[in-house]
Amino acid sequence: MRCEEARQLFDAYLDGELAPSLATELGAHRVHCPDCRRSLALLEVSGHIISSDRDPVSVPEDFSDRLLACVEVREHAWPARVRRILYVAGPIAAAAVIALAFLGFFDRGRDTLVAGVKVEPTHVEAGVTASHSIAPFLSAQDREAAERAIDLWIEQMQSHKAAKAKSGDSAQEPSDLTILQVLEMLKDANNNAPNPLHFPGADPNEPFGPPNGLPVDDGDVEDL
Amino acid sequence: MIVAEREATTSREREVMLIGRARAGDRIALRELVDAHKDRLFAFIWRMVRNHHEAEDICQDAFLKAFASLDTFSCEYRFSTWLFTIGYRVCLNRLRRKRSFTGDLEFSSLAAQDEAGSSAALESEEAVRVRNSVWSAVDQLTPPQRAAILLFYRNDFGCQEIARVLQLPLATVKSHLHRARVRLRELLEGLPDQDWSSFRNLSERAV
Repeated sequence: MRCEEARQLFDAYLDGELAPSLATELGAHRVHCPDCRRSLALLEVSGHIISSDRDPVSVPEDFSDRLLACVEVREHAWPARVRRILYVAGPIAAAAVIALAFLGFFDRGRDTLVAGVKVEPTHVEAGVTASHSIAPFLSAQDREAAERAIDLWIEQMQSHKAAKAKSGDSAQEPSDLTILQVLEMLKDANNNAPNPLHFPGADPNEPFGPPNGLPVDDGDVEDL
Repeated sequence: MIVAEREATTSREREVMLIGRARAGDRIALRELVDAHKDRLFAFIWRMVRNHHEAEDICQDAFLKAFASLDTFSCEYRFSTWLFTIGYRVCLNRLRRKRSFTGDLEFSSLAAQDEAGSSAALESEEAVRVRNSVWSAVDQLTPPQRAAILLFYRNDFGCQEIARVLQLPLATVKSHLHRARVRLRELLEGLPDQDWSSFRNLSERAV
C-alpha cells in the first residue's frame, strides 16, 4: 500500500468503518511508514483529547430553575402569535395615527368655529396665521369689531372657495395664501364692516410687526 | 437482548413518556428533560461560541424553543438530536450576527482557556502543550467542521445523526469531518515529537 492510498483510508479507519482486511493492510503500512504513522497517531491522540477532556466550564447550578421560571412566564404571557402580530402591528398603528394627525384627519368630523362660523379645514392655517398677526394689537373694546372683521373674512374665504368650484383650478387655494394676501382680505373685510377697525398691518403700506419689540401674546388667539 | 440494548430501550421509552407528560404541561417532566440534557448541550454550545454567558443564553434559548414547539417533535428521533439541532441553529445565528458586527470571527484569537489545567493538574508540560494546541486547533475550524468534530468525538453521535443535527446531507457531513481532520493535522504537525510522547501509549494501543 502506498502512502496516498493509506491516507485515503484514514477517515474510514478513524470512523470505525474500515473493512477488516483493509484495516490490516493499513496497519502493516503504518508499521513501515514513519510519516503515515505520525499522521495517524496525531489524529488518534487529537480524537482522544477531544472526546475525553473535561470541560473547564459547567452549566450553572440554578440553570434548570431559571429556565423553568422562563417557561412559566411565557405560558402566562400572550400567545406568541398574538405577540408577533402586536409587535408588527403596534408601530404601524402608531405611525398611522401620527400620519393621520398630520393630515388633519381628526379635524374632519369636527366643526371649527371662528366667531360662530364654521371654517373649512383648508381655511384654518391661513386664518390662524392672520389671527396671530392681529390679536396682540387688539384692545378689549375692539375685540367685537375684530370678530366681525374675521367673520366677514370667513365669508370671503367661502365665496373664494365657491368661485374656485365654479371656475375650475384657476382660483388660489386658501391655504396657499400669503400673509399679505390674507391681510389684504382682512382690510377689505374691515372696510365693509359696520364699525371699521384700524389695526396695524391692515394697511399693506404700513410697517408691520409687534410695536417696540413686544413679545407676541398668544393668549387671545385661543379665544378666536 | 443484551443489557446495553435493553437499557437503551428503557431510556428511550422513558424519554417518550417524559415528552408526553411535558406536552401535557407537567413541570416535573420538563425538569427531568432539562436535567438530562443541559450539561451536554451547554458543553457543546460553549465549545462552539467559547463564551460562558453566551453559551448559557443560547442553551436556555434552545430549551425554550424546543419546549415551545414540543408538539411538532417526532418521537422517532432522539430528543437530544432535536435539541442539539435547535441549539446549533441558535449558535449559527449568533455567530453570523457577531460576524456581521465584527467582521470575520477569528477563533484563534479567543483566549484558549486552560483546558489541560482542568483535566490533569499533574500532567507533564508537554502533554499540557498538546492539549492546548488541540483545542486551539479545534477553535480554528469552521463552525460546521467544529460542530461535526465535537458531536462525533464528544457526544458519540454517528455521521447520520450529525447530518440530522446540522441539517446537511450525509456526504457533506463526512466531507466536513474529513476537512476538519486534515486541518487539525496541518495545525498540529508543527508540534515537536517529544510533546506527543506522553500520548505514545495511547496511540500504540489504538493500532
